[in-house]
Amino acid sequence: MKHSKPTERTKVKVVLPGDTVSLDVTTPGITLGPGLIQAGDSISCTKAGFLVRSGSIYWVENDQKRYIPETGEHVVGRISGKGGEFYRVDIGSAHQAILPFLAFENATKKNRPNLNIGDLIYARVALANKDMDPELQCLNPMNNKADGFGKLEGGMVLKCSLRYCQRLLTQETDICKLLGQVLQFEVSIGMNGRVWLSSDTIKHISLVYNVLKQAEALNNSECKALVNKLAV
Amino acid sequence: MPNLTKYVTPGRRLCFSEGVTAGPGVYERGEYLYASVVGVVQELAPTTEGEPRVVTVTREKVHSAVPDVGSIITGKVIRMTTKEAVVSIMVVGNMPCKDDFQGIIRSQDVRATEKDKVKIYNSFRLGDIVRAEVISLGDARSYYLSTAKNELGVIYAQSVAGAVMIPISWQEMQCTKTKTMEPRKCAKPDIPLPEK
Repeated sequence: MKHSKPTERTKVKVVLPGDTVSLDVTTPGITLGPGLIQAGDSISCTKAGFLVRSGSIYWVENDQKRYIPETGEHVVGRISGKGGEFYRVDIGSAHQAILPFLAFENATKKNRPNLNIGDLIYARVALANKDMDPELQCLNPMNNKADGFGKLEGGMVLKCSLRYCQRLLTQETDICKLLGQVLQFEVSIGMNGRVWLSSDTIKHISLVYNVLKQAEALNNSECKALVNKLAV
Repeated sequence: MPNLTKYVTPGRRLCFSEGVTAGPGVYERGEYLYASVVGVVQELAPTTEGEPRVVTVTREKVHSAVPDVGSIITGKVIRMTTKEAVVSIMVVGNMPCKDDFQGIIRSQDVRATEKDKVKIYNSFRLGDIVRAEVISLGDARSYYLSTAKNELGVIYAQSVAGAVMIPISWQEMQCTKTKTMEPRKCAKPDIPLPEK
């Protein structure tokens, strides 16, 4: 799939929750992204951060760590319990998510998945809204195949801000590519502020963890300097 | 005639069953009417002219309605899961309930066609007022309800913007303020359509 280069992202100003944003509401086609709501005839902010604009889309960017599930996002979760026909999964949201036994590739009533409490999984949010507990699935709904979802063996989980996970996924930050030139490692990035990482030895795993943790606050050139220090 | 201001207990013989009918809280056995609950005996005028007077025993001044199989209830959605919506029954027919009962609308009882393709989140939302029919007395916790008829379903709902919504079709409602459509299983409105 060809990715088009994202349009220029410009920071407009710093906003706090409750601030009214004076956008030209008469212009048709303004899209309000996360952090902005329409209250009557004016637009107000619900998050503290930078008001960012890309084309005609406006949204608020911040260092939020609290995850609010959205349908279609990929998340890293930990099995916290078993219900009747489902697992209870902790994905860091306000309510624990549900992962039905049948939401796996080749799952039938007799063929149950083999997961235990404490296991880490990579899943897709199948259903998320404010009225119900979120629901996950470990398969791609388009072709009903696992496609990388399922149990994550070994490794460890890094908890970070949601924005950092987005930056890692869109490769806005080069840290994964730079680190990959020095070490061999594996990452699964969840949109819920959790990154699973694994490598061949425990020493490498803790190295990758520390680098990724530090790189959250660094820009690309500083990341390069950090990795160069490692390679020595 | 019974002393109308006296408290009676179950089993208390009230009066001859001649010329009077047994109402709630009273049963007829042989020639007499007996109380079946604790309360005050009341003699009420009949609902229609020419009918005999009704003797009832009630603890409260006003009777509280109790749902029965086949009764149409009005309630509010208080909880939702993927398989069912839990409704707090507030009105049975035209009579309000003193204490709310609990009812469940299972996903296969939401509508009459394509029962297995129902998505609860596209039929109801939290806080919606629904009209449903009691299909079963259910278990200890809740009645079982159904909205699988044209005139059953959501009768009042608020949009995410906080404004009242009006039904557009049996599947959609529109917000009066922002004009966005939201999916609901709507009840057919009672008002007759205007002549074309």
